[in-house]
Amino acid sequence: MDKVLSTLISVGVTVALSLALWVGANVLFDQARNNWRRFNAVAGAVVGFVLLSILHGNRLLVAVGPGPDAVGTLAAFVWPAALGAATFGSTAWYLSGVDGPRHRLIAGIATGTVVGVVVGALLRSAYRPGFDLAALAIWTAALSGLGALISTRRGRPAVHGALVGAALGSLLGGFGSAELGAGNMVGAIAGATFPAAAFGARIGLTNNADERGRARIDSGSRAYIFLVPSLFFITAALVVPTIRTIYLSFLDDRSENWVGIGNYTDVFTSKTSFDISNWPDIFTSRLFYLGTAMLIAGLAVAISTKKRDGRAVELGGPSIAPLAIAAGLLVFATFSVLRGTIMNNLWWVFTVTVVSTALGLAIAVLADNTRFESVAKALIFMPMAISLVGASIIWRFMFIARDSSKNQTGVLNSAWVGLGRLSTGRGIPTLLASVALGIVFLALAVKVARLLTTGKLTSLPIPMFALFLVGWAWVRFVGLVGDGLGGVVISSDGEVIAKPVLFVQEQPFNSVWLMLILIWIQTGFAMVILSAAIKAVPAELLEAAQVDGATESQVFWRVVLPQIATTIGVVVTTLIVLVMKVFDIVKVVTNGNFGTDVLANDFFAQAFQFANRGRGAALAVILFLSVLPVMYFNIRKMQQEDT
Amino acid sequence: MSKHRMLRFFSVLFAVALIASACGNDSSGGDDAAPSDAAPGDEAPSDEAPSELAGTTVTVTGPERDESEANAIQIALDIFADANDMTITYTGDADWEANINTQIEGGNPPDISIFPQPGKLADFARDGSVVPLSDAAAAATAANWTEAWTVFGNVDGVQYGVPVKTDLKSLVWYQPDRFAANGYEVPTTFDDLLALTDQMIADGNTPWCVGIESGQATGWTFTDWVEDLMLRTAGAEVYDQWVSHEIPFNDSRVVDAMTTVLDLWNTEGAVFASGGSIAATAFQDNGEPLVAGDCMMHRQASFYAAFFPDGTAFADGSEGAVDVFYFPSIKGDSPVLGAGTLAAGFNDNPATMAVLEYFSTPEYAEARQVAQTEGKDGGLSGFLSAAIGQDTSVYQPLEQSFLEILANAEVVRFDASDLMPADVGAGTFWTEGTSAVNGDITAQEAADAIEASWPS
Repeated sequence: MDKVLSTLISVGVTVALSLALWVGANVLFDQARNNWRRFNAVAGAVVGFVLLSILHGNRLLVAVGPGPDAVGTLAAFVWPAALGAATFGSTAWYLSGVDGPRHRLIAGIATGTVVGVVVGALLRSAYRPGFDLAALAIWTAALSGLGALISTRRGRPAVHGALVGAALGSLLGGFGSAELGAGNMVGAIAGATFPAAAFGARIGLTNNADERGRARIDSGSRAYIFLVPSLFFITAALVVPTIRTIYLSFLDDRSENWVGIGNYTDVFTSKTSFDISNWPDIFTSRLFYLGTAMLIAGLAVAISTKKRDGRAVELGGPSIAPLAIAAGLLVFATFSVLRGTIMNNLWWVFTVTVVSTALGLAIAVLADNTRFESVAKALIFMPMAISLVGASIIWRFMFIARDSSKNQTGVLNSAWVGLGRLSTGRGIPTLLASVALGIVFLALAVKVARLLTTGKLTSLPIPMFALFLVGWAWVRFVGLVGDGLGGVVISSDGEVIAKPVLFVQEQPFNSVWLMLILIWIQTGFAMVILSAAIKAVPAELLEAAQVDGATESQVFWRVVLPQIATTIGVVVTTLIVLVMKVFDIVKVVTNGNFGTDVLANDFFAQAFQFANRGRGAALAVILFLSVLPVMYFNIRKMQQEDT
Repeated sequence: MSKHRMLRFFSVLFAVALIASACGNDSSGGDDAAPSDAAPGDEAPSDEAPSELAGTTVTVTGPERDESEANAIQIALDIFADANDMTITYTGDADWEANINTQIEGGNPPDISIFPQPGKLADFARDGSVVPLSDAAAAATAANWTEAWTVFGNVDGVQYGVPVKTDLKSLVWYQPDRFAANGYEVPTTFDDLLALTDQMIADGNTPWCVGIESGQATGWTFTDWVEDLMLRTAGAEVYDQWVSHEIPFNDSRVVDAMTTVLDLWNTEGAVFASGGSIAATAFQDNGEPLVAGDCMMHRQASFYAAFFPDGTAFADGSEGAVDVFYFPSIKGDSPVLGAGTLAAGFNDNPATMAVLEYFSTPEYAEARQVAQTEGKDGGLSGFLSAAIGQDTSVYQPLEQSFLEILANAEVVRFDASDLMPADVGAGTFWTEGTSAVNGDITAQEAADAIEASWPS
């Protein structure tokens, strides 16, 4: 209850603060037109307060003031900020009432000097710069020259840009190149005063805004009031960390020495992330044989359809299904042999994206305009509401195995071992089940025989495939081959012993069981988006196709599918981006053990558990770079869809 | 230093003003200023010790966050805090290992943290985040603990850490009743232990319960076994060389120790794994099968008492009671594998050092033991301390037998994986070990992979 309350309070405070800031900014800029001096005074005070708060809040300044009770601490923290507010506010107020250039210049320089001296004197000794005078001179000269150049080209007096350039240059050259902590207080004061005075002088050189200028500030500010907060947060929370991460990825584990692309070469040479040494095994796996058989069958069909109607491969044509199955089997054969986080990531991307999209599309199409559409869609969409961690924990329980002498408590193992006991049983249920399976087998065999006799060879591969699978299951079930179908083995003395599947531990297909969790969640997402797109296909098109005599399947493949192709692209790219970053599931279920590690989990472990910052940053950058082109494509697609 | 500082300087300039002002004032009482920055008024004469600490606040963090543990730590600390009119807060952090790095990097560490891994403490000591103990605190630590324990907080000859908790790992849990019923004797040598294992298999009993699954830390049970074996087969000296990487991780002696463990576990009928396989069995799930008779023995640390089913009796001679015997030595030198936690400070404020000094005392250990026993409703507390001069009557009989084993140990060594760099000790040693236990790779392959991952 405490946590709920404190969360509510902090949310409330945040919302109220944001609202107050936004309203306050609007009210403030309302003043610019008619209450020019008041506007300047408040704006100056705010700038001063924020500037000194940043310096003090980041512990660049010494905390001087009364201690140790709460009020004293607060006072010690607030007074520099209050001083900043007063100085800046009063200067701005003065400047807004004075038109004489000389007075303005003097006031600007004086304020800058005061702020610089105070900040320099309060600067913590750890940050006092031991100047590198050459660097200081070069930076200052170079940037003031650059500033002067920019000013001249924009038709302003060269001194304006030169002053800003000198201020920035002396800051970068002074503090950036210096050995911090090596200097004394005089140096700190000098180092802070010069840039502050230069900024002050630059402000002193401006003219007091006239009526039109004030009106322009008033109207021109509105867009910025909306934009600046979000830009600020995007910069602080996204742009700066990105740049810093890229920079860190070129440093060693302690972020001290430059190692160039060493971290990246490490990632690609390390066996944990990239291991293809077992590749010959691809060609000896059962998946590969099955896939090759399907591929040959698919190609045969493709050649015959090419002869018949000129198209080898066509959406909805007979060659698509065997070829797709072949591709899936071959990809699985490949990924089940190649190891490492990068390969696992690619496997995840392929499987989850393809299966989720295909299932989502199938459900969207099949449920379209049926009686139970809304219920079915709601049920399938529901997993989306479960967090990835929650879903992983649920599935972990489903995957649990228990010692063979105990009852299986995991749903999947309980079913699998149950099936095994059924197939090795002697009772009526076993008989019924084997008869039922036999009937399915015979029905398929009849279908295949009919296709063979009528010469419809192009439709053959899929029923053949099904016949093969069912036949295999049947001979196992009745015990012609092996110990029965399911999680059992028969010991030498004829006893039936449970043999649960270690879903999480058995390589390499444990990764697929983890992928199942994400598929379970994401199918609903694909289904909802695709269903909406299907419903948006104009009815005239469908009617026209029906009038022309198209079959249901032709309408889907030739009319609906091209219409929703863009949406499919968006779903696929969104899923790719999401799957590429998969982290929670692997973290919760295996923590990367048993060969299931993925990039994001490896990155987390390296960066935060082992404090290998360079390696972690490199992994993060690799992840970022591989997501980037897909993101770009995704956004382009979405924009196309809008127009 | 300069480059690093420069970066920090500019990154803080970029940092968010709101965040800065929000977290700036919660702990800026005096934990940050370098001595030269202190205001002159701070240096008041300090004749009376209590007045110096009055009103100060010390924050302590640590990985122990279980309610009974965290409460007991807080209660033990409050005794000292109340006596000195100060405030000490303990925060248990579930993700301590990652968060302490972040806190130090962000320049906002607690005053004191409790380290479960001396290796991590040494890392922080060497990069200057953790400060050495004051003379008084170091002296108190030396007086209250034997060198066997203080050495884990000693980095390059300087004392940084104070031992605050002791775990005893070389223990085998068993049920005396069941042993008596089958006519088994408690083994006193390692050969006896192996013979007993074979005997049990021959009798149709399953000797061992083993499970190494432990969420994010899966594999640590295996590393404990390997360490215990290393201590016994190779001896303490080689063990130290192994920890400090003077011998490579894939040294034949290490591989032998790993192979011995794996061979024992892979012996047909030797292990009951309630989760279907050793790698799939949670380490917590071994207490229940031991009591139920699915296995006869379970090698696990002193804190394992907490993982037996509710109502299990310990070492009181009653029916079904669970007891422990010492995991026997091979060379007769009775080595003990231990672990524990060490407190260390991130600043040298007088208050911080005074609390560290208190941490080393038997009074702290007793106070925590009493509070933690109460927190467990009079059951075994799971806490143990090897501090000298404790009143042992605050411990229960089983816990007193732990203390006895500790006292008789000639050789005490800290859990090696806690001493090794985190990449290995909390990384590849666990993960590659898990792969080896799962049968995916051999002991030699695992050792090679771990050696390759050792940070240069």
